[in-house]
This record gives sequence, structure tokens and C-alpha cells, in this order.
Amino acid sequence: MKFHGHVGVIETSDATTLDEALAVARCASRVLARPQPNLAILEADDARLVIAALEERGLHPKVIR
Amino acid sequence: MTPAAAQLKGFRTGDLDLLAVLEAVLARAPKVLKSGLPNLAFVRAANAGLQQPDDESEGHGFPQVEFWLTLARELSLLEVEGDRLVVSAAADAFYGLETRRRRDRLREAWLDSRLLNEFALTPELELPGLKRAGTVDVATDVPGAEAMAAGRRAVLQFVSHLAGETPLRRLWSQMQAEAPGFVISHAEDASWRNVYYRGIRERSGRADVERSGNWQIVEGALIAFMCELPLARLGWVEFDRKRGVVEPLPETDEGGADFEIIVQPSGEILVLGDRLDAGALFRLARFALPSPEGRRRRYQLDKKYFTDALGRGCSASGLLDFLAGLSRSPLPQNVRFNLEDWSALSERIKIWPDALFIEREGVEDLAALLPAALREKLGTTVLSGGHLGCPMPGDAELRQMLPPRRKLLDYARRLPPVVAPLEGLGLSAPSEDLHLRARQVLALVATRQSADRWELDQALVTASAKAMGAEELARRLDEALSRPLSAPLTVALRSWTGEFPVPFVGQAELFLCDNPVQAELLEQQPRFRAWVERTLGRGAFLLRLGGAEAVRAMLKELGISPRTDPRKP
Repeated sequence: MKFHGHVGVIETSDATTLDEALAVARCASRVLARPQPNLAILEADDARLVIAALEERGLHPKVIR
Repeated sequence: MTPAAAQLKGFRTGDLDLLAVLEAVLARAPKVLKSGLPNLAFVRAANAGLQQPDDESEGHGFPQVEFWLTLARELSLLEVEGDRLVVSAAADAFYGLETRRRRDRLREAWLDSRLLNEFALTPELELPGLKRAGTVDVATDVPGAEAMAAGRRAVLQFVSHLAGETPLRRLWSQMQAEAPGFVISHAEDASWRNVYYRGIRERSGRADVERSGNWQIVEGALIAFMCELPLARLGWVEFDRKRGVVEPLPETDEGGADFEIIVQPSGEILVLGDRLDAGALFRLARFALPSPEGRRRRYQLDKKYFTDALGRGCSASGLLDFLAGLSRSPLPQNVRFNLEDWSALSERIKIWPDALFIEREGVEDLAALLPAALREKLGTTVLSGGHLGCPMPGDAELRQMLPPRRKLLDYARRLPPVVAPLEGLGLSAPSEDLHLRARQVLALVATRQSADRWELDQALVTASAKAMGAEELARRLDEALSRPLSAPLTVALRSWTGEFPVPFVGQAELFLCDNPVQAELLEQQPRFRAWVERTLGRGAFLLRLGGAEAVRAMLKELGISPRTDPRKP
């Protein structure tokens, strides 16, 4: 068990959706880890980039702050 | 109007005024200027939403908005996020309280406020030395925070002992007689030092107000302001400025609210009724964007705003039930469908932008390892693969909650380099210290050999360098390494990434001459230059194929026999 603080976490319904979300924000190469196919851990700033990119395209993810 | 009804109106008005200011913050998320205050456009919009807005043309500014903003800050209902003023989570808890409790908290906040200086808001007075942040930098009699807090309590005490409706002038006379120095000391008014109220002028006045005979102009104006705004709006008194009378109000229970909403098929929500419930309206404003138009209350259902509310932990069904409960007629079908659809879509992608990620390693069961109370306190969500995640709690709070012997890897800081180069292509990375950044770098350049041992992989390095650039890859690797790579390994790695071009090893035709003048003179000969492929250095030339023969022939014509051993000059 490890505690990772101040990271961005993205969980999607499936792996393809996650790939798409990361591609939209051009963050795929900056993913820190993908512990599961539909789960990605990023730097917090990169997660904010993903939110902004998705919202720019009219997709509104559930943002838990 | 009965006193009870007046009090309801008094505090209800204040309650709605505070709500109007918070709704303006929700609708605009105004930029905070260097002074710490929001911009003028926001202040105007917030003022327009008040029950009795201030008139900007009178030149007094917007004391009501400043007053409510200050109380909201005192109660931490607002916070600055980046450079924007936003409503905090504490505001949700505040509006979850019943009206009476909310009123009590506002009263306490006003009485103890250290941020508020009513002198600065009193329309009849001007403080020339006052800065925007509410501080003064000249010799002044404007009281400080402690004196103001004591002054508020003094005024409240006098007002609460009034017997029914009382002219303001009588209150002034009583206070001047019994407590003349309730905010500004008058003990030494006879002294030559205390001729003036230093730093206090009448509005548009050219000089400080003289102390003699002007108590009612200064302290009186302050008392009138306190009666009109804090005391009346927080439900202590009823104040009639036209008649100049003040009347204390008894402590009574608040009456119930009576209002309804109309939800249009377009998603617009209109509020109808006289007895509005600020708590319910604030809850509405947290998932339907307020569109303040003066005192008309309109809200607009909006996809982003609604999904933001879901992200704060609201359930779509709960919000739908809440809307339906406020509306007398059934919700339009398309509105219900939209909200359910937005909720379902938002569930497809969930993002915690600043999270605590509790990683499950191997087959461990986090539910068994972490006490339920801790998980509940953190508000963790079970993620795919049994990992846990939650919004990042405060650092100090988290340190107290962390189980013993567990350390937090804080990605807001630079993490320690944990990868050490070994002999050959090996890398050592102890798994207990391995953070995600180091793991990311290892995944880009190496393959795992055992729990703690990795080996550089040429194909992976080449592919990663192609994807992100050789420099970026080298930077990340440097950050992860606890000591520099050996020179041969650096050569190998930087050659794999393409940063170093492919070197040549083999036979070649060279021309070497050790005297620089000789080299320069030869370089000027077109016959010589025609055979030079590349200048390798001063006096060293790589020749084209067959160049050695041609140059030798050219030199022979000059009577020079070139040497054949490159090592001996």
C-alpha cells in the first residue's frame, strides 16, 4: 500500500474512453501510471489539462474536488 | 407591522442580500485584484441583486456589498482559487443550517469581525488616509479592530435596552451622555492634541472634523449606519431612516418560507414568492447557474455547472427530487431526461484533479488494511483494481490520519531520485521507495528483471525518444537517477535516443598536414578542394573516394612526396 498525494486520477468506464480522453488533451505520453486499463494517474497539472480539453469539446467529466 | 414580522423581514432581507452576493460570486467567479478585492463589475452586479441597492451616483461606493463580502470572508464562505473568488465548501455547510442558526453565526461574525471597519462604510464620513484594504497610514483617530468590536457591542447593548420605538437623536443623546468614548476616546478632549477627529472628515469636507460639538456628526453617523445595516439586516432592530427612529425587536422564531419555482423546458428556473428560503435557493444556485437580473431570481440548468455539482458529491436523483419538491407542477420531461443524461455521461469519465491515490500493491486488501473510520473520514472511493482515491485532504490533517510507518509521496514537490545505475545495463530501484515518476521513467527505458532490478532496453529507449524527444527523455532519466550514469552507459543511451549520431569505424582516405599555413595554402587550390569531403580539423581532411591518388599526383607535380604513415610527421 502506497500513498500518493497531489496526483491527478482519471477513471473511465472503459480503456478506450481513457485513451480518447488522454489523446484529446495530448497527455498520453505524460501518464505516470496506468494501474488498470481504465485508470490513469497523472501529475495534477496534467489532470487539469485533461479537464480543460474535455470541457472545450463539450464533454463534461465528473470532477471531484 | 408587528415586531415579529419586522424581524422576519429584517433578517430575511439580510439573508437574501448575502445570498445575492454569493450568487454573484457563483455566476461570475470574479477576478481578485491586487488589493484583495473583486473587480468593480462584480461589485455592481452584486449590488443590483440586493433588496435595497446602494445608489452609485451618490458617491458612497457600495457599503452593503462590502459589508456582506466581509462577513462572508469572516465565515470562510468565500475563498480565492488561483486568482478567482469562489464560494467555498464551508458555504454549503453554512446554508445547511436552519435560518436561526445561520443568523446567529452572522451576528457573531459581525460582532467579532476584525476585517470590518464601519467608519470606512459610513456614507456621511470620509477617511482621507484610508487605503483600499481598510488600513490607515497616517496619524488617525479611526479606531482599530479591537475598539470597533467593543464599539459594536456597546451600540448593541444600548439599542437592546431601548423601550420601543425611539428617535435616533434620543439614542445619540443617551450614548453621548453615558458612553461618549465607545469607539473613540474623549478623555482628553480638552488637550491641544485632541482638537480634531484626526483623519475623519465629513463627506466632501476639506478639513478634519473638530471634536467640539460634533460628536453626533462622527459617532452619530456611525451609530446610524450600524442601525441601518448590521443591526437591522441581522434582525436586532427595525430602523426607519426617513422618520429617524429605531426599534429593538424581540427574539422570536423565524417563520416558514413560502415560495415556488417554475422550471421551463429550456432549463430556466424562475422563483416566485415573497418569503424566500435562502438555504433552499443557495442549494439551487449550487447546481443551476444563477443569472441575477436585479432582484429577480433566475437560474439556468447548465451541463458543466450541473456536473460540477455531481463532482462535489451530490447525486443526480437527489437534485432532481429537490427540484421537483420546489416546483408545484411536474418537471418537464426533457429537463428530467437532460439531467439524467448529463449525470450518466459525466459518470463515464471521473477526474480527481488533486487527489490522494492509495495504491494497492499485489493482492493486499485495502479495505482490511485501512480502518473504515479513516476511509470514511477521507471520503475514499474504490477505484478499478481495488485502489482507493479521494480529493486531497489538507497536508497537516493527512499526516495525523496516516497509518503508522506509512509515508506520503507528495507529488507537489520534487521526489527523491531512487534509481541507481549498476554495472553494465542494470538499474537498481527498491520497490518500497519507487514512486510513480521513477516508475514512469523506468517503464520508458528499461525492462524489469526482478523486484528491485531493471535493465536498460535499447528498443524501449529508441521508441520513447521518438515519442517524446531525446532531450525530454534524458531530463526525466536524470531526475530519477540517484547518481550519474557511467560514461559508456551515457554514450550508449544517448546513441540509442538518436541524440548522438551513428559513429563511423573503418578505413578512410585522409589528408593530414601539420603546418597550418601549409594546410591553408592547399585549401586555396581548387584541384585540392575538389577532393575534400569534409574538413575534420585544422590540417585534417576526409577525402572523397579516390582522392588520395589524385592529391598525391597533385603534390608530386609540386615536387612533394607525401608520407604514407599517418602517425609520424
